Amino acid sequence: MASTETFPDLPLFDLQLQPQDLEAVAETLRSGWLTLGPRTAAFEEAFAAQLGARHAIALSSCTAALHLAYLAAGVGPGDEVIVPAFTFTATAAAALYCGATPVFAEIVSRATPSLDPSDVERRITPRTKAVCVVHYAGYAAAADRLKELCDAHGIALIEDVAHAPSATLKGRKLGTWGLAGAFSFFSNKVLSVGEGGLLCTDDDEVAAFVRSRRSHAMTSGTWDRHSGRTDTYDVVGLGFNYRIDEPRAALLLSRLARLEQEIERRRELTVRYRELLSSVPGIILPFEDAEVPSSSCYVIPIMIEQDGRQAQVATRLRDRGIQTSIFYPAIHRFTAYRRRYPEVSLPVTELASRTELTLPFYPHMTDADQDRVATALAEAVAS
Amino acid sequence: MSDWRVPLTDVVVPEEDVQAVLACLESGWLTMGPRTQAFEEALAGFVGTPHAVTVSSGTAALHLALLAAGIGPGDEVIVPAFTFVASACAVRYVGATPVLCDVRSAREFNIDPADAADRITGATRAIVAVHFCGYPADLGALRELCDTRGLVLIEDCAQAVGARFGDGEQQVGTVGELGAFSFFSKKQLCVGEGGMVSTASQEHAERVRLLRSHALTSSTWDRHRGHDPAYDVVDVGFNYRLDEPRAALGLSRIGRLHENIGARRAIVRAYRERLAGLDGLELTFDEQAVERSSHFAFPVLLRDRSARDGLRDALKEQGIQTTWYPALHSFSEYRSIAPPGGLPRALEAAERHCALPLSSTMDVGDVEVVADVVAAALA
Repeated sequence: MASTETFPDLPLFDLQLQPQDLEAVAETLRSGWLTLGPRTAAFEEAFAAQLGARHAIALSSCTAALHLAYLAAGVGPGDEVIVPAFTFTATAAAALYCGATPVFAEIVSRATPSLDPSDVERRITPRTKAVCVVHYAGYAAAADRLKELCDAHGIALIEDVAHAPSATLKGRKLGTWGLAGAFSFFSNKVLSVGEGGLLCTDDDEVAAFVRSRRSHAMTSGTWDRHSGRTDTYDVVGLGFNYRIDEPRAALLLSRLARLEQEIERRRELTVRYRELLSSVPGIILPFEDAEVPSSSCYVIPIMIEQDGRQAQVATRLRDRGIQTSIFYPAIHRFTAYRRRYPEVSLPVTELASRTELTLPFYPHMTDADQDRVATALAEAVAS
Repeated sequence: MSDWRVPLTDVVVPEEDVQAVLACLESGWLTMGPRTQAFEEALAGFVGTPHAVTVSSGTAALHLALLAAGIGPGDEVIVPAFTFVASACAVRYVGATPVLCDVRSAREFNIDPADAADRITGATRAIVAVHFCGYPADLGALRELCDTRGLVLIEDCAQAVGARFGDGEQQVGTVGELGAFSFFSKKQLCVGEGGMVSTASQEHAERVRLLRSHALTSSTWDRHRGHDPAYDVVDVGFNYRLDEPRAALGLSRIGRLHENIGARRAIVRAYRERLAGLDGLELTFDEQAVERSSHFAFPVLLRDRSARDGLRDALKEQGIQTTWYPALHSFSEYRSIAPPGGLPRALEAAERHCALPLSSTMDVGDVEVVADVVAAALA
């Protein structure tokens, strides 16, 4: 196997669509109506109902959802948004889009790599406008405590739910704890479509704002004009093209019907994976078994106990055809952020980033695949 | 949903396009992969540009084109007032100020290079040449102006893929430092939502590629193929990626694009033949411009706004859908940036024009239906 062009036989993720998904897309294409029409509306309605949120607004990406969520929270130049650094860069980048400063906060520990409410509290200043909590890997962070904290300080709680559709905390769906939740439908996600995202909110004003700004703050859309509802439009703010299109909405709507079932399958697989991994010496398995039933089980992260071995273990696994990834390199250590915020130090996050590996995981993974990963990991860590 | 007898546009997705998308979905690889690459190669070949970088929309294309050109806070960018709002929004995204300028006339409703020249200040960094409705702007004059004054020329080709500039085969999107294209659902080449940046500069292309995907130094696809799992984030980037199903659709459709533009041009000629000489109606541009345009829309001019609105009502009553494009400075959001003295020609173009139905699948029969209603309404 060539080392630079190797398709892993156990990839990090693998997507299999069903015939009914393809049929839904084909039917949409044949209809000739490709943008913001009845399928987008139907998907939004179904997603909102399933989530128990008042509004669901489909967007071009989760990055777009975060951007609009921050703007809806009133984030602007000179403001601060508290975010974890142990997340995808979009969580922080969206604050920069608003002209605000991302203020990085710590995770609890490597065993609980979720935003630490106590550390968040210490970082609140008069300029803090919002806190964004990430439900890493599909497991609920302390949205309840963060909600209380934000309420006490009069700031907005935004949830980055990119990993965690249909996951819950205390029986309440993630994404519905704060002012708005930002979901991702990127190709490797639990509910994937290619590129796509969604913002949910119970707040009518936030919903109206987001609907307006996703399509250039125009007071009517192409569909409204096509359906004869209106003739012309005004532009009432600085908006964006953050629209999703109809084929993607159709695919999402088709896949949404199986979401709970697929997550159930992910949970079964995760329980078995965790059993296998719990006997691998030298690794930390984040989260508790008891959290699996309320998680969306997006990925299987592990932390190598010993620092400095991440690249070596990843290479050994790759040589056996097993793909891994790092969820996530700490944002504040990236060149772009180090340049802006050189003073940031988050020891727990940094150690997690230096020791984390994400293992292959997808709903049609076999027991034998899991066994192979666990065995290879044990050997790679031991040797 | 109302059923128009003749809709403004009509997107037809033939079975070969559907199958191309389904094959992509069946592959299970949905983002930034081989189909995006193949679509970009096809686009570069079609437009005649060294580099074509697909993005999520025409708006995103403009945004990244401005960033690649180094436009930022404190800079001014000259934008014609008769365009879609994204041309100005993108300037604001990068922290710069859009300075509106006028068009040549209601009849030739593209950016007026002389008026653009008058609006250049010490802070001006770029001019956005919009090829509105598919008609190429005066790229010769604009290129010269930009070269003389040290400005960047960015072409907004959102409505003009396949339009030609000058007497030869050179297409729009190859004269400015960067060109921004749209593949929105009503465009000549449509995939739903999508766009593309064209450029001759390797450096600009690399910058656009970087910024469209969060300035990550490697992509999911690279990592899937066994490249290093580690990556850096070297700037503030965005998620402006196109996905594979849309790339597959675009790749399938681009093979018919020349033919589709030809069909649109034939419809425009049929319209012009039937509408020429009608009292109270004026055709826009001339035969040479019709030959060069890629015909996103077919606007005609009426005497004034009320005559235009009257015609639109008459057409609507007969099941014929039309539209019109407001001038930027008539929007609430942009009223305050209209220069003193206004932009009279852009406003006149906006108020007098009516865009009649146009698509590559219309036939001459449709043209006759529309032309008859127009003639009756004006009689």
